Amino acid sequence: MDPVTAVLRGVPMTLYLTFGAFVIGAIGGVPLALALRSGTWPVRAISRLVVDFVRGVPIIVWLFVLKFGLAGEGIRFTPLTAGVIGLGLVSAAYLAEIYRGGLQTVPIGQLEAANALGLSRSVTFRRVIAPQAFRIVSPSVATYLMGLLKDSSIASTIIVGEIVFQAQSYARQHPTAVGIIPYVVAGLFYIVLSIPVAYFSRKLDRRMREEIY
Amino acid sequence: MDFLHNWAEYLPEMLSGLKLSMLIAAVSIVVGYPIGLGLSLMTASKNLVARAIGLAVVEIGRGAPALVILYLIYYGLPKFGISFESLTAAYIGLTWNAAAYASEMFRAGLQSVPRGQIEASQALGLHPWPIFYRVRLPQGLRSAVPGLMGLAIQMFQGTSLAYGIAVPELMKTSYSIGSRTFNYLEVFILAGLVYACISMPATWITVYFERRIHRRYA
Amino acid sequence: MTLTGVEAGERAGNVGIDLDHISKRFGDHVVLDDVSLHVAPGTVTALIGPSGAGKSTFLRCINLLERPDSGTIRVAGHTIEPGKEIRSRDLAALRSTVGMVFQSFNLFPHMSVLDNISFPQQNVLKRTKSEANDRSMQLLERVGLPEKADQFPTRCSGGQQQRIAIARALALDPSIMLFDEPTSAIDPEIGLEVLAVMRELAAEGMTMIVVTHEMQFARDVSDTLVVMADCRIIERGNPREIMSEPTQARTRQFLRAVLER
Repeated sequence: MDPVTAVLRGVPMTLYLTFGAFVIGAIGGVPLALALRSGTWPVRAISRLVVDFVRGVPIIVWLFVLKFGLAGEGIRFTPLTAGVIGLGLVSAAYLAEIYRGGLQTVPIGQLEAANALGLSRSVTFRRVIAPQAFRIVSPSVATYLMGLLKDSSIASTIIVGEIVFQAQSYARQHPTAVGIIPYVVAGLFYIVLSIPVAYFSRKLDRRMREEIY
Repeated sequence: MDFLHNWAEYLPEMLSGLKLSMLIAAVSIVVGYPIGLGLSLMTASKNLVARAIGLAVVEIGRGAPALVILYLIYYGLPKFGISFESLTAAYIGLTWNAAAYASEMFRAGLQSVPRGQIEASQALGLHPWPIFYRVRLPQGLRSAVPGLMGLAIQMFQGTSLAYGIAVPELMKTSYSIGSRTFNYLEVFILAGLVYACISMPATWITVYFERRIHRRYA
Repeated sequence: MTLTGVEAGERAGNVGIDLDHISKRFGDHVVLDDVSLHVAPGTVTALIGPSGAGKSTFLRCINLLERPDSGTIRVAGHTIEPGKEIRSRDLAALRSTVGMVFQSFNLFPHMSVLDNISFPQQNVLKRTKSEANDRSMQLLERVGLPEKADQFPTRCSGGQQQRIAIARALALDPSIMLFDEPTSAIDPEIGLEVLAVMRELAAEGMTMIVVTHEMQFARDVSDTLVVMADCRIIERGNPREIMSEPTQARTRQFLRAVLER
């Protein structure tokens, strides 16, 4: 088999890891972000610690804890499950921080106008604050998603058959010069995907600024 | 309570792994950041060749996952006869990674200097080089600092990927202890705590500086 | 149930508001020091004074965007003591009686102009979409901007945005309107459009409290002039009298600086 096909066999797993983790993170980040902005001090402090701790531990450590650590205690995850949960956990923490920043950036006058009009707290959040925060954070979330795609490669260390794992097994079987090609292909895959997203993200960012301000 | 006793046992070995992690991080930052500054200038240069080379180095360093870069250098290059020791490969790969990300931060920082400053300098009759060196660069670097501090913390965490190329840093050390004792959970939790004990305060310091810098310019 | 402009005007202006002994501090910093104001129904009160005097804070206390530390607010049969607990029933009544227009307009940028005015009606007053839209178009006509209905706020000039903000506040049929430096963020020339709408509103008998730096407006349109300085009211009464013969030195100092421009 040629190196390119071999490596690209890992694409489904890469995408599965990336989008599975992204869904977990995008949804899980919301309650965390609200907790980070809570009016109650203990809630804010605890959520701050949790988010900072999760972000303070490298992804590979989380993956190993979930795969090997828990296996010792009888909870066996498949490598893929451990990968999605681990990446999802970290994503939730990072996205919570992004959401929090976005919520903070919505001008306080919006909240004041909503209050003055007598809109309830939940309607104010749902119809006034959140839509604006969404527009503000979209570029950052897109950038994060790109980063998550690259981080999915870390799951290769816990034997998930994604792109980098496939590249490694091909390289091991081909000790000649051909053996460098899988790594190059893998690298190109990520690079080629990241360029258009970075370009669009930059364009989107400029347009968002004009619309909101 | 058994685990505390085990932790005490593992700690010395893990700390020596930590030392190596921090060394790798330090090298990638100290060598990578200046290279990153150079790259940011290259990517903004009017010279087509400089710009092309700069962009290539940055987009590869940023676009490819750090793990792939490390594997490429340590496992891939030997097939061409270029062999690096695992630690050296880690230095090279992570420095490249750091330089690529840092160059984006420098670029953003330099760009963010208000246009009014440059216009005022030109109106005063200053020449381009002094304007760059005395007006844009100092302010640009200052606004890049918080981002660079955050990047440094990411680089420190990124050293854990050197596990994949057999460097005995903190992550690899933890795994070795784990496979010896089969106490994977305890070991990795301790490893997580060690990483967090460094990353968390470092992040808080970064946030503090970020606020201070904002206050001075707001 | 739709209200025409005239009906709404009749309901408005029948309500006054009494504020007694309002005090507020932020930490050690005193912002309002025992401020009391009686606003008669159907009158226009202009609040002027140097920056930092507490005018905006006082205005915000009226609809409880800021909570005073002590004092009493009496409006439309409700008595509210902000220093103690505020019943949500009272707060809702207060917010539906009092409308507010902000210095920075605060229109919702992600909704069209029409939705900006209709959405609060549907949500707070439970009007149907078509009722709300009818009323919104009515109000847009009244402020002179019916063609902007489907556009987004960012496409409108400052003066237009402020007039739309006034329409949005009026759509909830308030009996009292608060204006927090409505023209301070707008070009003076364009600000005249906004002041014209406010003059019409006053002529129709709306009870209004306006914090402003527009001295001509204050002199020509207001029934009561209130001068605030150093966190308290230092002078109040007939605008023409105060402006030509202020009794307080501080007022004289302020007027001299403002009118000399």
